[in-house]
Amino acid sequence: MQFNKPKDLNELLENLSISQKKNYFLAGGTDINVQIKKEFIKDGNFYYINEIDELNGIKRKNEKVHVGALTTYRELLESDTISEHFPFLQRSLTNFASPLLTTMATIGGNIANGSPTNDVTPPLLVLDAELELISVAGIRNVSLTSFFTGYKKSLLKKDEIIKGVVLSIQAENGYETLYKKVGARKTLTIAKVALAGLKKIKEGKIDEIKLAVGSLNEYPRRLDKLEEYLNNIMIRDINKNTIDEILSKEITPISDLRSDKEYRYRVCLNLILSFLGINH
Amino acid sequence: MKIRFTLNGKNVVLESAPLKRLLDILREDYHLFGTKESCGEGECGACTVLLDGKPVTSCLVNAIHVNGKKVDTVEGLSKTKLGKMLIDCFDETNAVQCGFCFPGFFVSTYYYLLNDGDNDLEKIKKALSGNICRCTGYQRIFDSVKIACARKKVGE
Repeated sequence: MQFNKPKDLNELLENLSISQKKNYFLAGGTDINVQIKKEFIKDGNFYYINEIDELNGIKRKNEKVHVGALTTYRELLESDTISEHFPFLQRSLTNFASPLLTTMATIGGNIANGSPTNDVTPPLLVLDAELELISVAGIRNVSLTSFFTGYKKSLLKKDEIIKGVVLSIQAENGYETLYKKVGARKTLTIAKVALAGLKKIKEGKIDEIKLAVGSLNEYPRRLDKLEEYLNNIMIRDINKNTIDEILSKEITPISDLRSDKEYRYRVCLNLILSFLGINH
Repeated sequence: MKIRFTLNGKNVVLESAPLKRLLDILREDYHLFGTKESCGEGECGACTVLLDGKPVTSCLVNAIHVNGKKVDTVEGLSKTKLGKMLIDCFDETNAVQCGFCFPGFFVSTYYYLLNDGDNDLEKIKKALSGNICRCTGYQRIFDSVKIACARKKVGE
């Protein structure tokens, strides 16, 4: 394994553009150290990026907030900008990891690692977050909804890294919110089911709804078809069976050591019904 | 590579592989055996230390992360005034049984007392949620932390 410590972002990107091997990145290290321990990482180019300033910090630019990929969960939890504009996101973060991991764990690492159970993606999906991807060719913005393409697969090219997450400061404005992570215990648990939701309801009618799930597909995703059905519907006209039918096509839970697929499906359905104020 | 950092208040320089775990550096290079390895995956908290004043699981921190930073372990923190008071509190409620997890609980509690210290059970539980004890159960630990919160307030 070849170890590199690029002095800045340019040097890192240049290295990546000529790299022939698989690239690994050490940011906060909370996940990759587990992979090293389990000997999942054998050969490749290893880059220490945790001190690259251009990838760090929470900055407001006009109507957007840029969260650098290296921003830690502790920094997000303690940030005034986040608590002012994204209280829902900040509350969601209290369900992640443990106080010992939030010190080091980064938002970019959580996303780039691409686990189907990663905690931060469902709330970011309902906030219509964008990712800034950077390479020597420049920066491109992609919506988080299109970023993941399969199990631990994404749009990231081999010479590209996540520079940061971009959120509109209006993203949470006027919505009722829900973030629910279901696991075997409260802290330090891997989600069996995660649901993030935003909704606006006026006079018994759903004006707008956004729903995203984690741990139920190959990657966390928005429930587009269900949103389509629910948008602009009177709550009293909602048909539980229709929700069930649409949901069964949008999520593909599996049975594994943490839970079984029937449980996961039922819990997801019930959480959605609860969020809509419907008895299950 | 050469790693320079402050260990329990002392400046140190170490020749180390960049990915060597802080946990191993503490135990092998400095013989600080208070910091324990249990799960080695960041889930149990037995290896908790403070890195630049913030709690981390040292099994997931690498030598290169530590360069230029401040590391405080149970050995250093237990010699401070706050640390000594905290040991007394754990003692009084018989919070410790086998002791393996305790350096981690000690460091997490130390951080909590220094940065919050509110006598609220839910907050205490959250602050210690990264540390797992497999023998005493948590009630006595929470009891002693509550006593420590009260004493720290009086001390101020």
